[in-house]
Amino acid sequence: MATTAVTSAEITSEAPRSDFGRVLAQRERRFAAALLAPAFLALLATTTFPLLFLIYTSAFRMDLAMPFTNGFVGSENYQVLLSDERFWTSLLVSLVYTGSTVALQVIIGLALALLVMDMKRGQGWFRVIAILPVVLSPAVVGMIWRTFMLAPEFGIVDFLAINAGLGSKNWLGDPTLAMVSVIAIHTWQWTPFAFMVLLASLASLPEDIYEAARLDRASAWQRFRRITLPLLRPAIVMVIIMRTMVALTAFAAIFTVTAGGPGTATEILNLYAYRKSFTELSIGYGSALAVALLIVTIIISGILFAMRRAK
Amino acid sequence: MSGQGQVSFRNIVKMHGEFAALKGVNFDIKPGEFFALLGPSGSGKSTTLRILAGLDAPTAGRVLIDDKDVTSTDARDRDIAMVFQSYALYPHMTVAENIAFPLEMAKLPKSEIAPAVKDAARKVKIDHLLHRKPGQLSGGQQQRCALARAIVRKARLFLLDEPLSNLDAKLRLETRAELKKLQRSLGVTAVYVTHDQEEAMTLADRMAVFMSGEIQQVGTPAEVFARPNSIDIAGFIGNPPMNLVPARYVDGDVIIAGHRLKTTATTAGERDVVVGLRPGALRMAEGGLGARVDLIEDLGDTAVLDLDCAGTMIRMRVADGNIPGEGDTISITARPQDIHLFDPATRMRL
Repeated sequence: MATTAVTSAEITSEAPRSDFGRVLAQRERRFAAALLAPAFLALLATTTFPLLFLIYTSAFRMDLAMPFTNGFVGSENYQVLLSDERFWTSLLVSLVYTGSTVALQVIIGLALALLVMDMKRGQGWFRVIAILPVVLSPAVVGMIWRTFMLAPEFGIVDFLAINAGLGSKNWLGDPTLAMVSVIAIHTWQWTPFAFMVLLASLASLPEDIYEAARLDRASAWQRFRRITLPLLRPAIVMVIIMRTMVALTAFAAIFTVTAGGPGTATEILNLYAYRKSFTELSIGYGSALAVALLIVTIIISGILFAMRRAK
Repeated sequence: MSGQGQVSFRNIVKMHGEFAALKGVNFDIKPGEFFALLGPSGSGKSTTLRILAGLDAPTAGRVLIDDKDVTSTDARDRDIAMVFQSYALYPHMTVAENIAFPLEMAKLPKSEIAPAVKDAARKVKIDHLLHRKPGQLSGGQQQRCALARAIVRKARLFLLDEPLSNLDAKLRLETRAELKKLQRSLGVTAVYVTHDQEEAMTLADRMAVFMSGEIQQVGTPAEVFARPNSIDIAGFIGNPPMNLVPARYVDGDVIIAGHRLKTTATTAGERDVVVGLRPGALRMAEGGLGARVDLIEDLGDTAVLDLDCAGTMIRMRVADGNIPGEGDTISITARPQDIHLFDPATRMRL
């Protein structure tokens, strides 16, 4: 009790100065809040609200083809989802697509970065050329690949395949080849991103520790394994996180190239939710699929961020 | 594994485009010697060390280690350990892992690595820091870690590139003494690059003095101090360095500012010379060269006087208790054997 009294007495004695500071800080905070408000409200309206509405919708049966069946169904959409074989297939396709594209981007991007690091001239040009695919719209990339590259007989890839003696392939018609194709397209477009990030990270590593490692008799492979890789780890993990987020929610390129086909061979979860909502007009179930994708994305990013923090 | 550590440089030239960083360097280092490469920045001493380490290739010339031509041998295969000016520690490894790295690369069994790491860390007194990362160490501790990593392998050659330059003055003095003891106890050949003549004087058994891409003198610190080969070395070695005064030589005497001084150095006939006088070799005596005391820098046990001898600035070191006042006029002289003569044209010793 006595202590409390002393403390409050101290506070009172210091009141004038701290009061002034507090008022000032409060005013400043209010002004800051006013400045932030428009952006904050816009974000709320365009991201948070649709997200909440999506979750809300997923608890309804909302079938535009059969409006008379609409109504609140609780968790029924999710129960259906869990026993929906096409959901599991599309989830698997999503995971294969994401896993393989991210792995390829990191491996090829890192290899390119290491090669370009050793280039004495033309690094700048290489960077400019490498960034081109990234600035293209994925839909455009999809169209280019579908026509220019993969069209039977006339596409560059098919032309090369014929000349290599493999014969003309139905690149987008065969389920396995279609999957390989969409993975290749995504990798082609986004590897430069990984390349740029890793190149910048590589360039920031000090030269002298490599000289020390040479004198310590480390071979080129050991220098890569023991020094480059651990020091690049933060950049690599960051690339993996960013690219995984994007790959999980990829849409435009696949949509324009195969639209999920043939059959459901390249139908990632995102595409399935789209087809369900806007082709089959089953908005409620489509929303449940989208929420499922959201949960998968959160879980995977949670794991990746934990990996990043570890050690 | 640890060999002799005998080094020979034969006409080493290093060009950076048009610029000659090294213009034909020759020297030999004996096994077990503490050899300093001394010179001002840009004189080529670090380039020499990098060529010896195999980190840079010379444009011409040959490098021999233990009588074997290693000019085109990769740094990996030269059996050389080095301490970098920046320390070049592996930032993602602990101190223990840093020290263990060269042993792991040499594929030593784990059971031998652990005691060797402890031993090396104990020698440089960082055995209590083994689990820290370099980022958590002070500059002096990082420097010791770099030293431990270099000595753990028992290489035949031990290179040090300005290892003390990033330490504060007090730590530098302490580490300097420890470095010398360490090198003696290991008995390894050490090559030491520095721009600090005091470091070279105190540490080295012998040293090579670099001036603009060339070696101007090789010798023990005492030899270089006593008989500098050129005006440049005379002006570089010693603290404060030798006074260099234009003068006239007339059979056995030099004439400085109208005053004659006897010298044991001889040269033909009568000619212009540059006289070198160590600040510590000057004495106050009657009938000498008249000089006015401009400034006194009191160092405690000695003092350095800035003297004005008829327009020529001369610095003189005097023992404490014998100091004139500022503005006084004194008379100075030097023993004949303390007068060095240099040729003003070639800048070499006469």
